[in-house]
Amino acid sequence: MSAPINNNSTWIIVPAYNESTTIQKVVGDLLGYGYNIVVVDDGSNKSLAPQLKNFTSIYFIRHKVNMGQGAALQTGISFALQKGANWLITFDADGQHSSTDISTLLTPLQSGSTDIVLGSRFLTDGKHNAGPFRRLALHTGRWINFFLTGLYLSDAHNGLRAMNRMAAQKIDLKENRMAHATEILFAIKEHHLKYVEVPVTITYTDYSKSKGQSVFNSIRIFFDLVLHKLFE
Amino acid sequence: MNGIKILLITGVAFIAVYFFIRLRNSLFDIILLLSLIAAAIIFIIFPETTNSLAHKLGVGRGADLVFYTSIIIFWFVILKLYARIRKLEQIITQIVRKDAIEEADKPANE
Repeated sequence: MSAPINNNSTWIIVPAYNESTTIQKVVGDLLGYGYNIVVVDDGSNKSLAPQLKNFTSIYFIRHKVNMGQGAALQTGISFALQKGANWLITFDADGQHSSTDISTLLTPLQSGSTDIVLGSRFLTDGKHNAGPFRRLALHTGRWINFFLTGLYLSDAHNGLRAMNRMAAQKIDLKENRMAHATEILFAIKEHHLKYVEVPVTITYTDYSKSKGQSVFNSIRIFFDLVLHKLFE
Repeated sequence: MNGIKILLITGVAFIAVYFFIRLRNSLFDIILLLSLIAAAIIFIIFPETTNSLAHKLGVGRGADLVFYTSIIIFWFVILKLYARIRKLEQIITQIVRKDAIEEADKPANE
């Protein structure tokens, strides 16, 4: 399990839906580290490929129809596993994450003591500029996650995560939309994956706020989760 | 036989024909459907029977009893449909994913 982390077997999965304003900057920031990068275009109205054509080292996958972030992540994970990835990182395309946090995420994996590392904006040292309503929604989300999974985390629905190959193989996301964040916790619980939270920086810009989920979307997530519990 | 009874029975008959054309495969479905149709027609022709049934269950009027049961049945049907939609969504996702991964490429070649 303690294969040393080399950037060659580290894969960064960037699910993107209509992120044409930010995708170049996000991918450009990630390039310097030597990780493998795969952008999953989740059926954007206009393919993101033309904007990425100068990045010759990355991979590009495009869903023919829009299916949601959960579906895009799973596609990226399956692809990276096929390519022999040992370490997988999920990274949002709207520019809210910081590429410098990636090494923080990889450190606990490197020691072999952890299978999955979750980014948290609410841990000490974590930084964010979420408004009061978003904070309230996130904290409610934590409690719902605790209620449904028994895992009490300091953050909910943080898109920045890292996992080893074993954990990635165990996780099989069926929730196409945003409820996948809790579904990952279900998988942690079910397969007894070792997890740890690390502080990360989340920068909401006007763009990411307009692109991202509205606070009211959390009601839909909750509904999806109830259905997941009922039918899966 | 007054107007509303003829109207309702015609409606039930149409629905019955529609369903019979669609699901001929399972014996259980046919029996369930037949008994539902029979019950519907009996209640339409003799509405008083719902009243006595309602009184036994502690509901004031037969029409109320029918209303309450249909709410529950509708909830059940909606849940079943949701389950079906989720299933379809998962199948579509798998197909789109397989397709997308097979066509994965460098962005310049897209």
